[in-house]
Amino acid sequence: MTEITDRVYEALSGVWDPELAVDIVSLGLVYDVRVDEDDGIEIDMTLTTPGCPVSDALPAEARRAVAEALPQWPVRVEIVWDPPWTPERMNVDAARSLGVGRRLRI
Amino acid sequence: MIPGGPTAMTPPPSVPLSFLAAAAIGLFGFGFVAWFAGDKLVTVPNHPAAVSAVHMGVLAFLSVAVLGALHQFGPVVSNKRLRSVMAGRFTMVAMVAAGWLLPNGFAHGPEWMILAGGVSGAAAALVAAWNLSGPLSSRTGGVPVLGLRISVTYLVLTVAFGVVYVLNRQAAWFPLLPNRVLAHAHLGLLGWLGLTYVSVAEKLWPMFLLAHRPGARSGKVAVVALGSGTLPLALGLLFSVAWLAMVGGALALVGLGAHLVSLASSVKHRRRPLEMLHAYLAASTLYLVIGIGFGVAAGFADVDTGTRMILVGVEVGALIAWLSLAVAGHAHKIVPFIQYTMLRSRGVDRHPSGRPLLFGDLYRKAPARATLVLLTVGFGLILAGMLTGSVPLAAFGGGSLGISGIVIGLNLAFGPRLAAGGPTPEPATAGRQA
Repeated sequence: MTEITDRVYEALSGVWDPELAVDIVSLGLVYDVRVDEDDGIEIDMTLTTPGCPVSDALPAEARRAVAEALPQWPVRVEIVWDPPWTPERMNVDAARSLGVGRRLRI
Repeated sequence: MIPGGPTAMTPPPSVPLSFLAAAAIGLFGFGFVAWFAGDKLVTVPNHPAAVSAVHMGVLAFLSVAVLGALHQFGPVVSNKRLRSVMAGRFTMVAMVAAGWLLPNGFAHGPEWMILAGGVSGAAAALVAAWNLSGPLSSRTGGVPVLGLRISVTYLVLTVAFGVVYVLNRQAAWFPLLPNRVLAHAHLGLLGWLGLTYVSVAEKLWPMFLLAHRPGARSGKVAVVALGSGTLPLALGLLFSVAWLAMVGGALALVGLGAHLVSLASSVKHRRRPLEMLHAYLAASTLYLVIGIGFGVAAGFADVDTGTRMILVGVEVGALIAWLSLAVAGHAHKIVPFIQYTMLRSRGVDRHPSGRPLLFGDLYRKAPARATLVLLTVGFGLILAGMLTGSVPLAAFGGGSLGISGIVIGLNLAFGPRLAAGGPTPEPATAGRQA
Protein backbone atom coordinates (compact mmCIF):
# COMPACT_ATOMS: atom_id res chain seq x y z
CA MET A 1 0.00 0.00 0.00
CA THR A 2 2.89 2.33 0.73
CA GLU A 3 4.03 1.94 -2.84
CA ILE A 4 0.56 2.90 -4.12
CA THR A 5 0.48 5.89 -1.79
CA ASP A 6 3.85 7.02 -3.08
CA ARG A 7 2.60 6.75 -6.66
CA VAL A 8 -0.46 8.79 -5.75
CA TYR A 9 1.71 11.56 -4.33
CA GLU A 10 3.95 11.35 -7.36
CA ALA A 11 0.95 11.81 -9.66
CA LEU A 12 -0.37 14.68 -7.56
CA SER A 13 3.03 16.35 -7.79
CA GLY A 14 2.31 16.83 -11.48
CA VAL A 15 -0.76 18.95 -10.76
CA TRP A 16 0.07 22.64 -10.55
CA ASP A 17 -1.84 25.54 -9.13
CA PRO A 18 -2.16 27.65 -12.30
CA GLU A 19 -1.98 30.93 -10.39
CA LEU A 20 0.97 30.14 -8.13
CA ALA A 21 2.94 27.89 -10.53
CA VAL A 22 3.65 25.39 -7.72
CA ASP A 23 2.43 21.78 -7.51
CA ILE A 24 -0.33 20.97 -5.03
CA VAL A 25 1.77 18.59 -2.92
CA SER A 26 4.50 21.17 -2.37
CA LEU A 27 1.82 23.74 -1.56
CA GLY A 28 0.53 21.46 1.19
CA LEU A 29 -2.94 21.24 -0.32
CA VAL A 30 -3.03 17.43 -0.07
CA TYR A 31 -4.04 16.55 3.49
CA ASP A 32 -4.41 12.78 3.33
CA VAL A 33 -4.26 9.83 0.94
CA ARG A 34 -6.01 6.60 1.94
CA VAL A 35 -5.65 3.41 -0.06
CA ASP A 36 -8.08 0.57 0.50
CA GLU A 37 -8.46 -2.51 -1.67
CA ASP A 38 -12.25 -2.34 -1.40
CA ASP A 39 -12.84 1.42 -1.45
CA GLY A 40 -10.00 2.41 -3.76
CA ILE A 41 -8.02 5.62 -3.38
CA GLU A 42 -9.46 8.49 -1.34
CA ILE A 43 -7.70 11.84 -1.37
CA ASP A 44 -8.45 14.68 1.05
CA MET A 45 -7.30 18.00 -0.31
CA THR A 46 -8.01 21.65 0.27
CA LEU A 47 -7.60 24.94 -1.60
CA THR A 48 -5.73 28.07 -0.65
CA THR A 49 -8.98 29.93 -0.01
CA PRO A 50 -12.72 29.19 -0.22
CA GLY A 51 -14.04 30.60 -3.48
CA CYS A 52 -10.65 30.07 -5.06
CA PRO A 53 -11.00 30.56 -8.83
CA VAL A 54 -9.73 27.06 -9.53
CA SER A 55 -11.90 25.34 -6.93
CA ASP A 56 -13.51 23.18 -9.60
CA ALA A 57 -10.56 22.63 -11.86
CA LEU A 58 -7.88 21.68 -9.34
CA PRO A 59 -9.67 18.74 -7.66
CA ALA A 60 -10.76 17.48 -11.06
CA GLU A 61 -7.20 17.72 -12.31
CA ALA A 62 -5.94 15.86 -9.22
CA ARG A 63 -8.44 13.05 -9.74
CA ARG A 64 -7.55 12.79 -13.40
CA ALA A 65 -3.81 12.68 -12.72
CA VAL A 66 -4.15 9.85 -10.19
CA ALA A 67 -6.62 7.94 -12.36
CA GLU A 68 -4.18 8.10 -15.27
CA ALA A 69 -1.27 6.93 -13.10
CA LEU A 70 -3.25 4.10 -11.47
CA PRO A 71 -6.00 3.25 -13.98
CA GLN A 72 -7.05 0.07 -12.18
CA TRP A 73 -7.95 1.97 -8.99
CA PRO A 74 -11.13 3.96 -8.39
CA VAL A 75 -10.25 7.48 -7.20
CA ARG A 76 -12.25 9.91 -5.10
CA VAL A 77 -11.19 13.44 -4.18
CA GLU A 78 -12.78 15.20 -1.24
CA ILE A 79 -12.42 18.94 -0.65
CA VAL A 80 -12.00 19.65 3.04
CA TRP A 81 -11.87 23.06 4.70
CA ASP A 82 -10.99 21.96 8.20
CA PRO A 83 -8.27 22.61 9.06
CA PRO A 84 -8.00 25.60 6.73
CA TRP A 85 -4.89 25.82 4.61
CA THR A 86 -2.21 28.19 5.80
CA PRO A 87 0.95 29.18 3.96
CA GLU A 88 3.00 27.43 6.66
CA ARG A 89 1.89 24.13 5.07
CA MET A 90 4.08 24.81 2.03
CA ASN A 91 7.36 22.98 1.85
CA VAL A 92 10.62 24.89 1.76
CA ASP A 93 10.96 24.70 -2.01
CA ALA A 94 7.45 26.05 -2.60
CA ALA A 95 7.93 28.87 -0.11
CA ARG A 96 11.23 29.78 -1.71
CA SER A 97 9.81 29.67 -5.22
CA LEU A 98 7.11 32.10 -4.09
CA GLY A 99 9.78 34.22 -2.46
CA VAL A 100 8.28 34.03 1.02
CA GLY A 101 10.51 31.50 2.79
CA ARG A 102 12.01 34.09 5.12
CA ARG A 103 8.61 35.67 5.80
CA LEU A 104 7.22 32.28 6.87
CA ARG A 105 10.40 31.30 8.75
CA ILE A 106 10.50 27.90 7.07
CA MET B 1 -15.83 15.37 -5.05
CA ILE B 2 -17.89 18.45 -4.35
CA PRO B 3 -20.92 18.45 -6.65
CA GLY B 4 -20.46 21.92 -8.07
CA GLY B 5 -17.96 24.54 -7.05
CA PRO B 6 -18.25 28.28 -7.54
CA THR B 7 -17.08 28.23 -11.14
CA ALA B 8 -19.87 25.78 -11.98
CA MET B 9 -22.20 28.70 -11.24
CA THR B 10 -20.62 31.14 -13.68
CA PRO B 11 -22.20 32.06 -17.01
CA PRO B 12 -20.55 30.95 -20.27
CA PRO B 13 -17.13 32.61 -20.70
CA SER B 14 -18.45 34.58 -23.66
CA VAL B 15 -20.61 36.66 -21.29
CA PRO B 16 -17.89 38.27 -19.15
CA LEU B 17 -15.37 38.24 -22.00
CA SER B 18 -17.71 40.15 -24.32
CA PHE B 19 -18.15 42.86 -21.68
CA LEU B 20 -14.40 43.11 -21.13
CA ALA B 21 -13.58 43.19 -24.85
CA ALA B 22 -16.13 45.97 -25.32
CA ALA B 23 -14.61 47.79 -22.35
CA ALA B 24 -11.16 47.74 -23.98
CA ILE B 25 -12.68 49.36 -27.07
CA GLY B 26 -14.44 51.79 -24.72
CA LEU B 27 -11.07 52.70 -23.17
CA PHE B 28 -9.72 53.40 -26.65
CA GLY B 29 -12.79 55.56 -27.36
CA PHE B 30 -12.37 57.37 -24.04
CA GLY B 31 -8.78 58.26 -24.83
CA PHE B 32 -9.67 59.26 -28.39
CA VAL B 33 -12.45 61.59 -27.23
CA ALA B 34 -10.28 62.99 -24.40
CA TRP B 35 -7.58 63.73 -26.96
CA PHE B 36 -9.96 65.75 -29.14
CA ALA B 37 -11.65 67.38 -26.15
CA GLY B 38 -8.33 68.29 -24.52
CA ASP B 39 -8.91 72.03 -24.96
CA LYS B 40 -12.37 71.82 -23.38
CA LEU B 41 -11.20 69.61 -20.52
CA VAL B 42 -8.64 72.27 -19.67
CA THR B 43 -10.61 75.45 -20.23
CA VAL B 44 -14.30 74.57 -19.70
CA PRO B 45 -14.63 71.25 -17.81
CA ASN B 46 -18.44 71.34 -18.08
CA HIS B 47 -18.40 71.94 -21.87
CA PRO B 48 -20.41 69.28 -23.79
CA ALA B 49 -17.21 67.88 -25.34
CA ALA B 50 -15.65 67.42 -21.89
CA VAL B 51 -18.86 65.90 -20.56
CA SER B 52 -18.79 63.59 -23.57
CA ALA B 53 -15.25 62.42 -22.72
CA VAL B 54 -16.15 61.76 -19.08
CA HIS B 55 -19.25 59.77 -20.06
CA MET B 56 -17.20 57.74 -22.52
CA GLY B 57 -14.79 56.79 -19.75
CA VAL B 58 -17.41 56.10 -17.12
CA LEU B 59 -19.95 54.29 -19.30
CA ALA B 60 -18.25 52.75 -22.35
CA PHE B 61 -15.14 51.73 -20.39
CA LEU B 62 -15.65 51.53 -16.64
CA SER B 63 -19.32 50.57 -16.34
CA VAL B 64 -19.09 48.00 -19.12
CA ALA B 65 -15.97 46.45 -17.54
CA VAL B 66 -17.39 46.46 -14.02
CA LEU B 67 -20.69 44.95 -15.14
CA GLY B 68 -18.77 42.20 -16.96
CA ALA B 69 -16.71 41.48 -13.86
CA LEU B 70 -19.87 41.37 -11.73
CA HIS B 71 -21.52 38.85 -14.04
CA GLN B 72 -18.52 36.58 -13.33
CA PHE B 73 -17.71 37.49 -9.74
CA GLY B 74 -21.27 37.58 -8.35
CA PRO B 75 -21.99 33.89 -9.08
CA VAL B 76 -18.51 32.83 -7.91
CA VAL B 77 -18.63 34.59 -4.55
CA SER B 78 -22.26 33.72 -3.80
CA ASN B 79 -22.25 30.24 -5.36
CA LYS B 80 -25.52 31.11 -7.11
CA ARG B 81 -26.23 31.49 -10.80
CA LEU B 82 -27.38 34.60 -12.66
CA ARG B 83 -31.12 34.65 -13.24
CA SER B 84 -30.59 34.63 -17.01
CA VAL B 85 -27.59 34.35 -19.31
CA MET B 86 -29.60 35.99 -22.10
CA ALA B 87 -30.30 38.96 -19.82
CA GLY B 88 -26.54 39.22 -19.25
CA ARG B 89 -25.96 39.44 -22.99
CA PHE B 90 -28.73 42.05 -23.29
CA THR B 91 -27.11 44.13 -20.53
CA MET B 92 -23.81 44.09 -22.41
CA VAL B 93 -25.35 45.28 -25.67
CA ALA B 94 -27.54 47.90 -23.98
CA MET B 95 -24.75 49.33 -21.80
CA VAL B 96 -22.31 49.46 -24.72
CA ALA B 97 -24.99 51.25 -26.77
CA ALA B 98 -25.54 53.74 -23.95
CA GLY B 99 -21.80 54.18 -23.51
CA TRP B 100 -21.36 55.26 -27.13
CA LEU B 101 -24.67 56.98 -27.90
CA LEU B 102 -24.69 59.36 -24.94
CA PRO B 103 -21.15 60.76 -25.40
CA ASN B 104 -21.65 61.14 -29.16
CA GLY B 105 -24.97 62.83 -28.52
CA PHE B 106 -23.42 65.25 -26.02
CA ALA B 107 -20.55 66.09 -28.35
CA HIS B 108 -22.30 66.30 -31.71
CA GLY B 109 -26.05 65.70 -31.28
CA PRO B 110 -28.64 65.03 -32.56
CA GLU B 111 -30.84 65.04 -29.50
CA TRP B 112 -32.44 61.66 -30.29
CA MET B 113 -29.05 60.09 -29.76
CA ILE B 114 -28.96 61.29 -26.16
CA LEU B 115 -32.52 60.10 -25.59
CA ALA B 116 -31.74 56.69 -27.08
CA GLY B 117 -28.61 56.45 -24.96
CA GLY B 118 -30.57 57.27 -21.82
CA VAL B 119 -33.23 54.67 -22.57
CA SER B 120 -30.59 52.08 -23.41
CA GLY B 121 -28.63 52.80 -20.22
CA ALA B 122 -31.78 52.61 -18.10
CA ALA B 123 -32.72 49.27 -19.65
CA ALA B 124 -29.19 47.94 -19.08
CA ALA B 125 -29.16 48.99 -15.43
CA LEU B 126 -32.60 47.61 -14.64
CA VAL B 127 -32.00 44.28 -16.35
CA ALA B 128 -28.56 43.99 -14.70
CA ALA B 129 -30.06 44.71 -11.26
CA TRP B 130 -32.71 42.03 -11.77
CA ASN B 131 -30.23 39.52 -13.14
CA LEU B 132 -27.61 40.09 -10.45
CA SER B 133 -30.25 39.97 -7.71
CA GLY B 134 -30.09 36.18 -8.14
CA PRO B 135 -26.53 35.72 -6.88
CA LEU B 136 -26.69 38.78 -4.64
CA SER B 137 -29.67 37.37 -2.75
CA SER B 138 -27.36 34.67 -1.40
CA ARG B 139 -27.04 34.43 2.37
CA THR B 140 -23.37 33.64 1.94
CA GLY B 141 -20.67 35.85 0.53
CA GLY B 142 -20.19 38.21 3.47
CA VAL B 143 -18.99 41.77 3.06
CA PRO B 144 -18.42 41.61 -0.71
CA VAL B 145 -22.01 40.55 -1.39
CA LEU B 146 -23.37 43.16 1.03
CA GLY B 147 -21.37 45.85 -0.74
CA LEU B 148 -22.46 44.68 -4.18
CA ARG B 149 -26.13 44.82 -3.21
CA ILE B 150 -25.67 48.48 -2.26
CA SER B 151 -23.53 49.31 -5.30
CA VAL B 152 -26.02 47.81 -7.75
CA THR B 153 -28.72 49.91 -6.06
CA TYR B 154 -26.48 52.93 -6.68
CA LEU B 155 -26.19 51.91 -10.33
CA VAL B 156 -29.96 52.11 -10.67
CA LEU B 157 -30.04 55.43 -8.80
CA THR B 158 -27.25 56.87 -10.95
CA VAL B 159 -29.00 55.89 -14.15
CA ALA B 160 -32.30 57.26 -12.81
CA PHE B 161 -30.55 60.60 -12.21
CA GLY B 162 -29.14 60.45 -15.71
CA VAL B 163 -32.51 59.73 -17.30
CA VAL B 164 -34.05 62.71 -15.47
CA TYR B 165 -31.25 64.92 -16.76
CA VAL B 166 -31.76 63.58 -20.29
CA LEU B 167 -35.50 64.29 -20.14
CA ASN B 168 -34.78 67.69 -18.64
CA ARG B 169 -32.95 68.64 -21.84
CA GLN B 170 -36.36 68.55 -23.55
CA ALA B 171 -38.62 69.67 -20.74
CA ALA B 172 -36.35 72.24 -19.07
CA TRP B 173 -37.71 71.54 -15.59
CA PHE B 174 -34.60 72.93 -13.89
CA PRO B 175 -31.24 74.45 -14.81
CA LEU B 176 -28.43 71.89 -14.86
CA LEU B 177 -26.21 73.72 -12.37
CA PRO B 178 -22.67 72.42 -11.61
CA ASN B 179 -23.71 71.17 -8.16
CA ARG B 180 -26.38 68.94 -9.76
CA VAL B 181 -23.88 67.55 -12.25
CA LEU B 182 -21.52 66.83 -9.36
CA ALA B 183 -24.25 65.00 -7.43
CA HIS B 184 -24.68 62.68 -10.40
CA ALA B 185 -20.92 62.24 -10.80
CA HIS B 186 -20.36 61.30 -7.15
CA LEU B 187 -23.30 58.94 -7.13
CA GLY B 188 -21.83 57.07 -10.09
CA LEU B 189 -18.12 57.26 -9.22
CA LEU B 190 -18.36 56.52 -5.50
CA GLY B 191 -21.68 54.72 -5.06
CA TRP B 192 -21.74 52.54 -8.15
CA LEU B 193 -18.19 52.07 -9.45
CA GLY B 194 -16.22 52.87 -6.31
CA LEU B 195 -18.26 50.77 -3.93
CA THR B 196 -18.27 47.85 -6.36
CA TYR B 197 -14.48 47.94 -6.49
CA VAL B 198 -14.13 48.37 -2.73
CA SER B 199 -16.45 45.37 -2.16
CA VAL B 200 -14.82 43.09 -4.70
CA ALA B 201 -11.35 44.01 -3.43
CA GLU B 202 -12.23 42.58 -0.02
CA LYS B 203 -12.37 39.16 -1.67
CA LEU B 204 -9.71 39.52 -4.34
CA TRP B 205 -6.84 41.19 -2.50
CA PRO B 206 -6.39 38.55 0.23
CA MET B 207 -6.85 35.82 -2.36
CA PHE B 208 -4.25 37.15 -4.80
CA LEU B 209 -1.79 37.86 -1.98
CA LEU B 210 -2.49 34.66 0.01
CA ALA B 211 -3.02 37.05 2.89
CA HIS B 212 -4.46 35.49 6.03
CA ARG B 213 -5.47 38.58 7.94
CA PRO B 214 -6.30 38.39 11.63
CA GLY B 215 -9.51 40.33 10.98
CA ALA B 216 -11.23 42.13 8.15
CA ARG B 217 -12.92 44.92 10.10
CA SER B 218 -11.45 47.65 7.90
CA GLY B 219 -13.07 46.06 4.86
CA LYS B 220 -16.46 46.04 6.53
CA VAL B 221 -16.04 49.67 7.61
CA ALA B 222 -15.03 50.59 4.05
CA VAL B 223 -18.14 49.06 2.52
CA VAL B 224 -20.61 50.33 5.13
CA ALA B 225 -19.19 53.86 5.39
CA LEU B 226 -18.82 54.41 1.64
CA GLY B 227 -22.22 52.86 1.01
CA SER B 228 -23.97 54.99 3.62
CA GLY B 229 -22.02 58.19 2.90
CA THR B 230 -22.47 58.50 -0.84
CA LEU B 231 -26.23 59.12 -0.77
CA PRO B 232 -26.15 62.05 1.70
CA LEU B 233 -23.14 63.46 -0.16
CA ALA B 234 -25.03 63.34 -3.46
CA LEU B 235 -28.23 64.73 -1.92
CA GLY B 236 -26.29 67.51 -0.20
CA LEU B 237 -24.70 68.47 -3.51
CA LEU B 238 -27.99 68.16 -5.38
CA PHE B 239 -29.96 70.44 -3.08
CA SER B 240 -27.02 72.60 -1.99
CA VAL B 241 -27.34 71.54 1.65
CA ALA B 242 -23.80 72.02 2.89
CA TRP B 243 -24.09 70.14 6.21
CA LEU B 244 -25.62 67.10 4.49
CA ALA B 245 -22.88 67.06 1.87
CA MET B 246 -20.27 67.34 4.64
CA VAL B 247 -21.75 64.46 6.64
CA GLY B 248 -21.90 62.31 3.52
CA GLY B 249 -18.43 63.39 2.45
CA ALA B 250 -17.00 62.58 5.88
CA LEU B 251 -18.56 59.11 5.82
CA ALA B 252 -17.26 58.51 2.30
CA LEU B 253 -13.81 59.63 3.44
CA VAL B 254 -13.92 57.16 6.32
CA GLY B 255 -14.92 54.43 3.87
CA LEU B 256 -12.16 55.21 1.41
CA GLY B 257 -9.64 55.50 4.24
CA ALA B 258 -10.69 52.10 5.59
CA HIS B 259 -10.34 50.72 2.07
CA LEU B 260 -6.72 51.90 2.02
CA VAL B 261 -6.13 50.39 5.47
CA SER B 262 -7.57 47.11 4.20
CA LEU B 263 -5.20 47.16 1.22
CA ALA B 264 -2.25 47.87 3.50
CA SER B 265 -3.32 44.98 5.76
CA SER B 266 -3.47 42.57 2.82
CA VAL B 267 -0.02 43.65 1.69
CA LYS B 268 1.38 43.36 5.22
CA HIS B 269 0.03 39.85 5.76
CA ARG B 270 0.82 38.58 2.27
CA ARG B 271 2.37 35.17 1.73
CA ARG B 272 3.64 35.73 -1.75
CA PRO B 273 5.69 38.44 -3.39
CA LEU B 274 4.14 41.52 -4.89
CA GLU B 275 3.62 41.29 -8.65
CA MET B 276 2.51 43.43 -11.55
CA LEU B 277 -1.10 43.65 -10.32
CA HIS B 278 0.17 45.42 -7.25
CA ALA B 279 2.00 48.00 -9.33
CA TYR B 280 -1.38 48.74 -10.92
CA LEU B 281 -2.92 48.93 -7.45
CA ALA B 282 -0.18 51.24 -6.21
CA ALA B 283 -0.76 53.63 -9.12
CA SER B 284 -4.50 53.33 -8.65
CA THR B 285 -4.19 54.11 -4.93
CA LEU B 286 -2.04 57.13 -5.65
CA TYR B 287 -4.81 58.55 -7.81
CA LEU B 288 -7.40 57.81 -5.12
CA VAL B 289 -5.35 59.83 -2.64
CA ILE B 290 -5.04 62.64 -5.20
CA GLY B 291 -8.78 62.53 -5.80
CA ILE B 292 -9.55 62.69 -2.09
CA GLY B 293 -7.15 65.59 -1.66
CA PHE B 294 -8.63 67.63 -4.48
CA GLY B 295 -12.18 66.75 -3.41
CA VAL B 296 -11.55 68.06 0.09
CA ALA B 297 -9.81 71.13 -1.31
CA ALA B 298 -12.74 71.81 -3.66
CA GLY B 299 -15.13 71.61 -0.73
CA PHE B 300 -13.25 73.76 1.75
CA ALA B 301 -10.69 75.97 -0.02
CA ASP B 302 -11.46 79.67 -0.14
CA VAL B 303 -11.11 80.11 -3.89
CA ASP B 304 -13.05 81.67 -6.77
CA THR B 305 -15.58 79.71 -8.79
CA GLY B 306 -13.22 79.10 -11.71
CA THR B 307 -10.52 77.62 -9.49
CA ARG B 308 -13.06 75.50 -7.63
CA MET B 309 -14.25 74.13 -10.96
CA ILE B 310 -10.69 73.12 -11.81
CA LEU B 311 -10.24 71.46 -8.41
CA VAL B 312 -13.47 69.52 -8.86
CA GLY B 313 -12.48 68.55 -12.39
CA VAL B 314 -9.16 67.17 -11.14
CA GLU B 315 -10.97 65.30 -8.34
CA VAL B 316 -13.32 63.64 -10.83
CA GLY B 317 -10.44 62.87 -13.19
CA ALA B 318 -8.38 61.33 -10.38
CA LEU B 319 -11.29 59.15 -9.26
CA ILE B 320 -11.70 57.91 -12.84
CA ALA B 321 -7.95 57.19 -12.88
CA TRP B 322 -8.24 55.27 -9.57
CA LEU B 323 -10.93 53.03 -10.96
CA SER B 324 -9.41 52.69 -14.44
CA LEU B 325 -6.05 51.46 -13.17
CA ALA B 326 -7.74 49.06 -10.76
CA VAL B 327 -9.95 47.67 -13.54
CA ALA B 328 -7.04 47.31 -15.97
CA GLY B 329 -4.87 45.60 -13.35
CA HIS B 330 -7.55 43.13 -12.34
CA ALA B 331 -8.40 42.45 -16.01
CA HIS B 332 -4.94 40.87 -16.27
CA LYS B 333 -6.08 38.38 -13.61
CA ILE B 334 -9.73 37.85 -14.51
CA VAL B 335 -9.41 37.45 -18.28
CA PRO B 336 -6.60 34.84 -18.18
CA PHE B 337 -8.55 32.87 -15.57
CA ILE B 338 -11.67 32.76 -17.76
CA GLN B 339 -9.60 31.91 -20.82
CA TYR B 340 -7.74 29.20 -18.91
CA THR B 341 -11.07 27.58 -18.09
CA MET B 342 -12.07 27.79 -21.76
CA LEU B 343 -8.80 26.31 -22.97
CA ARG B 344 -8.97 23.43 -20.51
CA SER B 345 -12.48 22.59 -21.61
CA ARG B 346 -11.04 22.25 -25.13
CA GLY B 347 -8.32 19.94 -23.88
CA VAL B 348 -5.51 22.52 -23.86
CA ASP B 349 -3.77 22.06 -20.52
CA ARG B 350 -0.10 22.35 -21.43
CA HIS B 351 2.20 25.18 -22.32
CA PRO B 352 4.13 24.56 -25.57
CA SER B 353 7.16 23.81 -23.34
CA GLY B 354 5.31 20.79 -21.93
CA ARG B 355 4.70 22.06 -18.40
CA PRO B 356 1.16 22.66 -17.12
CA LEU B 357 -0.56 25.76 -18.45
CA LEU B 358 -0.57 28.71 -16.04
CA PHE B 359 -2.67 31.87 -15.88
CA GLY B 360 0.50 33.87 -16.39
CA ASP B 361 1.03 32.21 -19.78
CA LEU B 362 -2.10 33.81 -21.16
CA TYR B 363 -0.83 37.34 -21.61
CA ARG B 364 2.46 38.99 -22.42
CA LYS B 365 4.17 40.80 -19.55
CA ALA B 366 5.78 43.59 -21.59
CA PRO B 367 2.49 44.90 -23.08
CA ALA B 368 0.91 44.60 -19.64
CA ARG B 369 3.65 46.79 -18.19
CA ALA B 370 3.26 49.18 -21.12
CA THR B 371 -0.47 49.47 -20.39
CA LEU B 372 0.33 50.37 -16.78
CA VAL B 373 2.72 53.10 -17.89
CA LEU B 374 0.37 54.43 -20.58
CA LEU B 375 -2.56 54.65 -18.17
CA THR B 376 -0.58 56.13 -15.29
CA VAL B 377 1.15 58.69 -17.47
CA GLY B 378 -1.99 59.38 -19.50
CA PHE B 379 -4.09 60.28 -16.50
CA GLY B 380 -1.18 62.21 -15.01
CA LEU B 381 -0.88 64.33 -18.15
CA ILE B 382 -4.62 65.03 -18.24
CA LEU B 383 -4.67 66.13 -14.60
CA ALA B 384 -1.51 68.18 -15.08
CA GLY B 385 -3.07 69.78 -18.16
CA MET B 386 -6.18 70.71 -16.20
CA LEU B 387 -4.12 72.19 -13.37
CA THR B 388 -1.74 74.16 -15.59
CA GLY B 389 -4.17 75.04 -18.35
CA SER B 390 -2.01 73.19 -20.89
CA VAL B 391 -4.06 71.80 -23.77
CA PRO B 392 -1.18 69.74 -25.27
CA LEU B 393 -0.64 67.94 -21.96
CA ALA B 394 -4.32 66.98 -21.71
CA ALA B 395 -4.46 65.97 -25.37
CA PHE B 396 -1.35 63.78 -25.11
CA GLY B 397 -2.80 62.26 -21.97
CA GLY B 398 -5.94 61.33 -23.88
CA GLY B 399 -3.83 59.83 -26.66
CA SER B 400 -1.93 57.75 -24.12
CA LEU B 401 -5.20 56.37 -22.71
CA GLY B 402 -6.43 55.54 -26.20
CA ILE B 403 -3.26 53.60 -27.00
CA SER B 404 -3.55 51.74 -23.69
CA GLY B 405 -7.02 50.54 -24.75
CA ILE B 406 -5.57 49.04 -27.92
CA VAL B 407 -2.62 47.43 -26.12
CA ILE B 408 -4.64 45.82 -23.32
CA GLY B 409 -7.32 44.64 -25.75
CA LEU B 410 -4.85 42.97 -28.11
CA ASN B 411 -2.69 41.55 -25.32
CA LEU B 412 -5.56 39.85 -23.54
CA ALA B 413 -7.33 38.78 -26.73
CA PHE B 414 -4.35 37.14 -28.41
CA GLY B 415 -2.46 35.89 -25.36
CA PRO B 416 -4.13 32.46 -25.25
CA ARG B 417 -3.46 31.82 -28.93
CA LEU B 418 0.23 32.53 -28.44
CA ALA B 419 0.53 30.65 -25.15
CA ALA B 420 -1.29 27.56 -26.30
CA GLY B 421 0.90 27.46 -29.41
CA GLY B 422 -0.59 26.18 -32.61
CA PRO B 423 -4.11 25.28 -33.58
CA THR B 424 -6.79 24.58 -31.04
CA PRO B 425 -7.09 20.82 -30.54
CA GLU B 426 -10.30 18.87 -30.78
CA PRO B 427 -12.51 18.95 -27.66
CA ALA B 428 -11.44 16.44 -25.02
CA THR B 429 -13.29 13.15 -24.86
CA ALA B 430 -15.60 12.46 -21.95
CA GLY B 431 -13.18 9.94 -20.49
CA ARG B 432 -10.43 12.51 -20.28
CA GLN B 433 -12.57 14.97 -18.39
CA ALA B 434 -12.60 14.47 -14.64
